Amino acid sequence: MLKYLLRRLIFGLPTLVGISIVIFVVMRVLPGDPLVAMFGAEGFQRLNPGDRARIMSDLGLSDPLPVQYVHWMKDIASGSFGRSFFRGDRVSELVLHRGPLSAEIGLLSVLISWLVGLPVGITGAVRPNSLADNVVRSVSVLFLAIPGFWLGMLIVLASLFWFHYKAPLVVVQLWEDPWTNFQLAIGPATVLGLGQGAYIARMTRSCLLEVIGEDYVRTARAKGVAERLVVVRHALPNALLPVITVSGILMGFVLGGSVAVEQAFGVPGLGTALVTAIVERDIVVVQNLVLLYGVIFMLVNVLVDLSYALLDPRIHHE
Amino acid sequence: MDKTDGSRRRAGRIAVMAARNPVSAAGGVAVLLLILLALAAPLVSPQDPLKTDFRRLAAPPGARNYLGTDQVGRDTLSRIIYGARTSIFVAVSAVLLGTTVGSVWGLASGYLGGRVDLISQRFMEVLQSFPDLILAMAISMAIGTGLPAVIVAIAVTRIPFGGRVIRSVVLSVKELTYVEASRSTGASPLRIMAFHVLPQCLAPYLVLATTHLGVAVVIEAALGFLGVGVPPPTPTWGNMLADSLTSLVPHWWLVFFPGLAITLTVLAFNLFGDGIRDTLDPRVYAGVLRATTGPRRLQRGK
Repeated sequence: MLKYLLRRLIFGLPTLVGISIVIFVVMRVLPGDPLVAMFGAEGFQRLNPGDRARIMSDLGLSDPLPVQYVHWMKDIASGSFGRSFFRGDRVSELVLHRGPLSAEIGLLSVLISWLVGLPVGITGAVRPNSLADNVVRSVSVLFLAIPGFWLGMLIVLASLFWFHYKAPLVVVQLWEDPWTNFQLAIGPATVLGLGQGAYIARMTRSCLLEVIGEDYVRTARAKGVAERLVVVRHALPNALLPVITVSGILMGFVLGGSVAVEQAFGVPGLGTALVTAIVERDIVVVQNLVLLYGVIFMLVNVLVDLSYALLDPRIHHE
Repeated sequence: MDKTDGSRRRAGRIAVMAARNPVSAAGGVAVLLLILLALAAPLVSPQDPLKTDFRRLAAPPGARNYLGTDQVGRDTLSRIIYGARTSIFVAVSAVLLGTTVGSVWGLASGYLGGRVDLISQRFMEVLQSFPDLILAMAISMAIGTGLPAVIVAIAVTRIPFGGRVIRSVVLSVKELTYVEASRSTGASPLRIMAFHVLPQCLAPYLVLATTHLGVAVVIEAALGFLGVGVPPPTPTWGNMLADSLTSLVPHWWLVFFPGLAITLTVLAFNLFGDGIRDTLDPRVYAGVLRATTGPRRLQRGK
């Protein structure tokens, strides 16, 4: 198992390098002059050519591209990840400040998606084509279509309208003030959780239906096991494997979706930081954050693969 | 068999499909209506979507503006109708572009195999390591916001899906006897790919293209909402949602209606896509799923 994990991580390295190169290339084809983005068109006019050259070289943007890439890799190796063009902050500080909140939102949303999706899916599979099943299926089809950031905006609007409630706008870590932190995280987590929950419910239903039709389930029923136990103890564990895979794939949805959803709730997480950096064209921050999202997504996929072996004894990792 | 007979038979087949799957048929009709609405935008929209009216700033829905006006007095209904144009145009062109590039790539990499396959698989893996929206944001920012930039940005995120699915189809098709027969007669790889393998990819291609339309609409809207979509004077649903946030307390009609338009469009596309998937080939579904899950280096023990 440990060997498999190591191998996966080592095989992931070339992909990681590939990811970083793609990001680097995408960021450098920027047609706009980063100085125009930094100082505005007027401010840019006021700079004389010498100043422009000096600032460009200060930012490390006048070096040849391979040198710039090596500089970036060095920044990553040093753990600082480079500095923001605008605020001069280290990117690592930004990530440490904003990251925990986003991580919390992500994990909480996965929890919510399972808490909602699993019971809903099981209900549908146990009584297929019943009224409850049909209602639930229609609702989940609807939830697959609702954009999370819109749902978020509606929730913010509704709570403001009916309860005069507005979530706080400051970055508060869990260990500083759990209650305020919870108020920040719960909104985006719920929206993202419901979005994933719709997929989880769908997958649970179809997989469980398939498993319930198998011989060993009939055997369990025949020997008089209570229906509840048949479903929960016999059928469910086998049905869960694809559901876990889907949950892993959905991390891509969570990572991407959280950017828009955080923006909708005005939650100052990592996603909001990325949007700000993109609007400001803060290349250093953008390239590092995009890389970070890519790395997290990759690691989640490795974890999903590992969970396979834990849950299905038939699967052995080489 | 004359021509009318053929078309009647085709119509009959569509009717059978629709009867078997009424929800998807409704989705298809809704998609058709949406496209008509987008095309006829200048005829059906009550007002000019760009005309500001400073006597009616942020007017709530009423008899003069059925869905109200925004902060500079533009008619929300007209903007939503025009927004359908951008949304559908971007979604359709991005999905067609991305799926086509991905499919051609998958066809080549699957048929040629060897080193070409290895390298392109790695590249697809890299592309798939980014969450859709984040990759689209980065690309859209890099090549400058605008309609073509948004289309390319969304298209790139669709490439790996086309690549993986078509590649897996090609891998199984190229071992079939008729392909081998054609190879034995000395047909060139290009000829075999174009005339013998490509036709087999048509059904999965159509499934891919239709099932991804909904996602593309959402990404387009999200890009607009985050300020890296089609730039502001053009009315898009995402831009409208972003604009609504400029007032301290957003007006409900400026939030509710554009989002509703997105939801209904995505819903229509999703239902339509599901119907196409179910009718064309039930086996494709497993392929699509496998492709989205990515390669799993697992072995089933005995």
